[in-house]
Amino acid sequence: MNTTNKTLIATAVAAALLTGCTTAPVKPAGAAQARSKLTQLQADANLGSRAPEAIKEADAAVRTAETPEINAPLAAHRVYMADRKVDTARALAEARFAEDQRAALSTQRESARLDARTREADAAHAQADAANASAGSSNQQAMELQRQLDEMQAKVTDRGVVLTLGDVLFTSGKADLQTGATGNLNKLIAFLGRYPDRIVTIEGYTDSMGSEDYNRGLSERRADSVKSYLVGQGIGAMRLTASGKGESDPVADNGSATGRQQNRRVEVIISSPATALSR
Amino acid sequence: MNPRPSTHRGSGLHIAAALTGVSLLAACASTPPVPTTSLQAAQQAIASAERDEASRYAPGELSEARTKLASANTEVAGRKMISAERFADESRAEAELASAKSASAKASIVNTEMKRSTGTLIEEMHRNAGDKP
Repeated sequence: MNTTNKTLIATAVAAALLTGCTTAPVKPAGAAQARSKLTQLQADANLGSRAPEAIKEADAAVRTAETPEINAPLAAHRVYMADRKVDTARALAEARFAEDQRAALSTQRESARLDARTREADAAHAQADAANASAGSSNQQAMELQRQLDEMQAKVTDRGVVLTLGDVLFTSGKADLQTGATGNLNKLIAFLGRYPDRIVTIEGYTDSMGSEDYNRGLSERRADSVKSYLVGQGIGAMRLTASGKGESDPVADNGSATGRQQNRRVEVIISSPATALSR
Repeated sequence: MNPRPSTHRGSGLHIAAALTGVSLLAACASTPPVPTTSLQAAQQAIASAERDEASRYAPGELSEARTKLASANTEVAGRKMISAERFADESRAEAELASAKSASAKASIVNTEMKRSTGTLIEEMHRNAGDKP
């Protein structure tokens, strides 16, 4: 308000000095254009409030320029000043607007950067997890297989994995499986269920007591009996081969009871196509 | 860059008021004094614009400010103080405009660069994501 008053005083002084000897002054040309630029700036939603000091100053300059003035060079000077001050106010407002936008841009960039890092990290994690999982799964598989074989007291031989079912499975001279003696067989069934690509050879053996023919027949019936049991438990017959070996290939001395007991057996040979079994 | 302190403006207006009267009286009075204040203010404004790299961002305005100051000095030499003062004031206004334009241009360049780098980042992210099955 103070500056307005001063401007008015200045104008009044000028006017008073002029009135004596001149015709009625008119609004200087060009002032309207400066006013129009200023109005546009003030109405701009982004800029209008961003350089209040400079806009105030420009407004005062425009008002001075608008004052009727007969002195042409002075009028032109005032219009020039007003025009530059309006342009300055706009440039300052634009600079401030850009600075104010920077915070938002910075936030945007940070969030994009964070996003990128998160994705990178996620991707790296996913890759690592996948690698671990595949390494882990083959490792784990092998360990699990080994554990199960151990549980069945299977031996890894050059023929494959051999599971020896002792004579406790059968009553002396009989081929029927004893109920309650199928624990090891059930483990075999679980194993075969889990590894459906394995095929199985079932071989029955006897001790040397009795005739060779009888022993061969008995061992065959016992092998068949095991096969039937496995088939009955859902193992495909195609995977199973049963044969009787009689008193051949004894694993112990038939001269002792203990030896003979060891020779009375059914061997289940799990063929080992997978490398995991041929360790 | 910053708006001038209001005291300057106030004194400027005082001077302007005084000069308005003086200029109108000039015809029948003795020569007014050299407008030292306006000349110094113009010089300072030009120096400030140069520091703001106006030669790069607002060369037209800076050059105009220098020309106006030179004109002001010429007028002083010719003892045309009223005209000298106007040239000096216009020089200062022009120099201040050069500073403001430089500030605006620099701010805008920074923002553009920020937008570009953010855009690149996002683009790259999408491309990486797209690479994955």
